[in-house]
Amino acid sequence: MKTWTQDTPAFALMRNMALPVLLGLLWQLWAMTLPEGSPAPAPLKVFESLGDLLVGGGLLSATAQSLGRVLLGFAAASVLGIALGLLMGSFAAMRENLDPIIESFRPIAPMAILPIAILWLGTGTPTALAIVAYASFFPVLVNTVHGVSRVDRKLLLAARTMGMSRLTILTRVVLPGALPSILLGSRLAMGVAWTAIIAAELAVGSKSGGGSSGGIGQMMFVFYAYNIDLNAIVVCMAVVGVVALLIDRLFRSAERHLIPWRP
Amino acid sequence: MRNTATSPKLRLSGVTKSFVAPRTGQQTLAVAEMSLDVQTGEFICVVGPSGCGKSTVLNMIAGLDKPSGGTIEKDGQAITGPGADRGVMFQDYALMPWQTVEDNVGFGLRHGTPGRDLSKDQREQRIAHFIELVGLRGSERKYPHQLSGGMRQRVALARLLANGPDILLLDEPLGALDAQTRHILQAELLRIWGETAPVSERKTAIFITHDIEEAVLLADRVVVMSSHPGRVREVVTIDLPRPRANTARTNPRFGVLVEQIWSLIRDEAYRAIGGDTPQAKPTEEATA
Repeated sequence: MKTWTQDTPAFALMRNMALPVLLGLLWQLWAMTLPEGSPAPAPLKVFESLGDLLVGGGLLSATAQSLGRVLLGFAAASVLGIALGLLMGSFAAMRENLDPIIESFRPIAPMAILPIAILWLGTGTPTALAIVAYASFFPVLVNTVHGVSRVDRKLLLAARTMGMSRLTILTRVVLPGALPSILLGSRLAMGVAWTAIIAAELAVGSKSGGGSSGGIGQMMFVFYAYNIDLNAIVVCMAVVGVVALLIDRLFRSAERHLIPWRP
Repeated sequence: MRNTATSPKLRLSGVTKSFVAPRTGQQTLAVAEMSLDVQTGEFICVVGPSGCGKSTVLNMIAGLDKPSGGTIEKDGQAITGPGADRGVMFQDYALMPWQTVEDNVGFGLRHGTPGRDLSKDQREQRIAHFIELVGLRGSERKYPHQLSGGMRQRVALARLLANGPDILLLDEPLGALDAQTRHILQAELLRIWGETAPVSERKTAIFITHDIEEAVLLADRVVVMSSHPGRVREVVTIDLPRPRANTARTNPRFGVLVEQIWSLIRDEAYRAIGGDTPQAKPTEEATA
């Protein structure tokens, strides 16, 4: 018979949810002291708003839109960042030539390139993708270069004494050796991809007039600029937070499967 | 044992290696005018104080480093780069941490030149054979971090042998092990090298060590090097009968040879650790 012990998943869930539930309760208690009709967000009103947005408000399609952009931009940045990172990590000439360029672009916030992106690509999905890709490119690249530089030199020598070509060494020694660092970079990149997409959609939202095709960031902009619905904005924030959390968990479990050698 | 009619397996003639410090441009002579002939099936141990260029010599034979002067020939052919005909076992084993025992042993066979002419089945058979030979059956799916130092050393040895090199280059392969494991693996190394087989079936081995007793136990000849710059001080022939694994240490001649080699490097060894007061018979230097 299963008893109420620390081993059950139910117990783990209870334990992990204790703090969020407590904070929610405190928030609700505080909200109940406010006068009737106050615009301040409150948990119960947020849940009400969540229901409305799910049923007819296009919350799901807006979330899907943003998630799609995040994944696509992130994928492009990963492919480019990993390939360039492996090359920069392996060849001093590439590293020395590209490093100044990379390092002078890296501190420029994704939002700062938005005006140029809008001029070149318009106010639609291409701009959002470009911003996401730009933001997530740097964590992937920098961590890949770092990972390559930390691959044990002895392993490269050992591979050479077994008659391996440069390309084989790159794919069979350098890539797996740098993988832990690459995956860390990807996880960080996924985080900044979300911050970038919301910012980009918020900004582009002001130009193209709303609707769920603008993604969840644009949805927030509409609730901010036209409806002044703080509860709905909190719903959007919460959705972004939960989706990002799920993706982070997915990444961590992928790391465990992709790096089984890590003690 | 020496056959002068054929060319030696390995010939170092006047090999010199100097390094230039990248910032200061200062030149250091690591190895000076080293000459040595190694015959097929011979087990050579190289001993000497830290900084005598032992590892540099090994790397040059492996083709990972180029001599600054002189030539290194294998079977009469100059060595131009690394190749699977000269297998290297590195000091800390250089196992791929992301690969299981089986993948590590098969790494060269599957991705390098050694397995080029083998079918998939032949490769897998070979891998299984060498895992068995070093006594690692049952651990095929383990990762290096799950293994003890002695087991990792066996994986490295199996990988080395699976690649089928005709010269084994071993850079202090037993240095990191505790004394008991070391004894066991010394005996196994002799068995695998072919101590009980006729000379023609033995591999040619160059083995670097800090441990003089180990050198005397294993080697046909011990190359004693001195440092700054590294050069051959003397080559001592070890005339102990084979097989030696379990008997050599009790042979009175064993102690004589150890003392003889120790006396050759004693002064330098003391200087290297910054003292000149003799201590109680330190046969294993505490240098790294």
